[in-house]
Amino acid sequence: MTMPSMHHVPGAAAPGFDDLQQAAEWFAVLQADSASDRERRDWQRWLDRGPGQRAAWARVEAVAGEFAGLSGWPARRVLEQGADGRQRRRRAVLRALALVPMAGMAGWLGARTLPWQGWTAAERTGVGERREIVLADGSSVWLNTATALDVAFDGPLRRLVLYRGEVLVSTGHRDPAEMRPLVVDVPQARLTARGTRFAVRHAAGDRVLLTVFEGAVEARPAAGPGVARTLSAGQQAWIHADGVDAPHAARGSDADWTRGMLVADGLRLADFLAELSRYRAGYLGCAPEVAELRIVGAFPLADTDRVLDALQVTLPVKIHKPLPWWVSVGPGSGASRR
Amino acid sequence: MLYRAHHGWLLGWFRRRLGGAPCAADLAHDTFVRVMQSREAHAIVEPRAFLRTLAHGVVANHWRRQAIERAWLETLARQPEPLAPSPEDRLLILEALYRVDAMLDRLSAKARSAFLLSQLDGLTYARIAGELGVSERMVKKYMAQAMLQCLLALQP
Repeated sequence: MTMPSMHHVPGAAAPGFDDLQQAAEWFAVLQADSASDRERRDWQRWLDRGPGQRAAWARVEAVAGEFAGLSGWPARRVLEQGADGRQRRRRAVLRALALVPMAGMAGWLGARTLPWQGWTAAERTGVGERREIVLADGSSVWLNTATALDVAFDGPLRRLVLYRGEVLVSTGHRDPAEMRPLVVDVPQARLTARGTRFAVRHAAGDRVLLTVFEGAVEARPAAGPGVARTLSAGQQAWIHADGVDAPHAARGSDADWTRGMLVADGLRLADFLAELSRYRAGYLGCAPEVAELRIVGAFPLADTDRVLDALQVTLPVKIHKPLPWWVSVGPGSGASRR
Repeated sequence: MLYRAHHGWLLGWFRRRLGGAPCAADLAHDTFVRVMQSREAHAIVEPRAFLRTLAHGVVANHWRRQAIERAWLETLARQPEPLAPSPEDRLLILEALYRVDAMLDRLSAKARSAFLLSQLDGLTYARIAGELGVSERMVKKYMAQAMLQCLLALQP
């Protein structure tokens, strides 16, 4: 998946994610006072490997130069204050969102009178439903469409078990003495949060998609616990029972479902419809002739029929609906205004 | 076409959000610039919902810049020996602060502090470790994490 570009220079070698990750690690090694001559030689060897490495390192230097330009000024306090303000705003947004799913909040308030020790509950959402639950430790969990989740906070772990669907977890710190790790278990792996906001989603092909928005998450595959991999903010990776694929850059819009929106930025129509079909019952198919059309827009998940109607108005497609639960999108007469 | 059909509405949206601040027109303009940067769209479906989504981002960015600018002016005012950068320098530094702040956006507070202590204040890993109450090994991890975030932020 490519990202919309503002800085793209045609012809310049774009470093891959792995190159950037290695470059960042080399930067951390070389910045240490303890960096040895041997480490410097190893870095040089890495750099000489090819254009990907050199392009990645050029970016490291660009970033370091940006900070060096500020080093004579009292900039650190400014940037740390800026960060505080943002954290506050982000919390305010979460509070605002928390007002929406009344059912989830009411359920939580009711359950709070029960002792949390030994409390286990199956949380479920139907197709097209989304809601947030707040856990005993203050962590927030958004459940997306068609999701089943168990919460088990009674053992040595704060454990969530995701059977199907998708969750967005924002870890909380209501009790500073709470030291138990928060984990999400899926059949394929155990995901351990490190102070963080992240999403886990079951997908076709017996795999899950892990997206980290803040902090970091360690993924330990069930059949190969030796190949654990840690993802940091902005990364996304497919996880199988026997391994974790190479991470790639996540999109900020990957969490827009919590606001009831599906945001497409140049998405293929086929991918768009596959995504939309998660939020509606029945079959939703796409003809190969129109699969490659690209879509930009923000779509309300609460009314997928309206989204389909809108497609028909703006794209050269026709919606076929032979049965109420059977919808297929095929080539149409052209984008005609009604 | 999109511009003509929705510009007035978007301007009104910004005016309501910002309580009639004079920069509403600039922000509406920024939003349309972002639309034009969206690639190879065959159609923009539900244009108002899409514009609203982009506009939320534009507003968040606007508040963040204001917070940075305020903190920068306060910091300058609090300096014991009055630092007197020229107006041009002030603006250049402010622009650099915006860029750097955006790069560090998604980092944890500790990783952010570690990176800033190293890159702006020139502290060694050992001193940063002492300052933050973590191991030196952890500081190295924060440094790699922070640099990767910055690289990804530059990534097209």
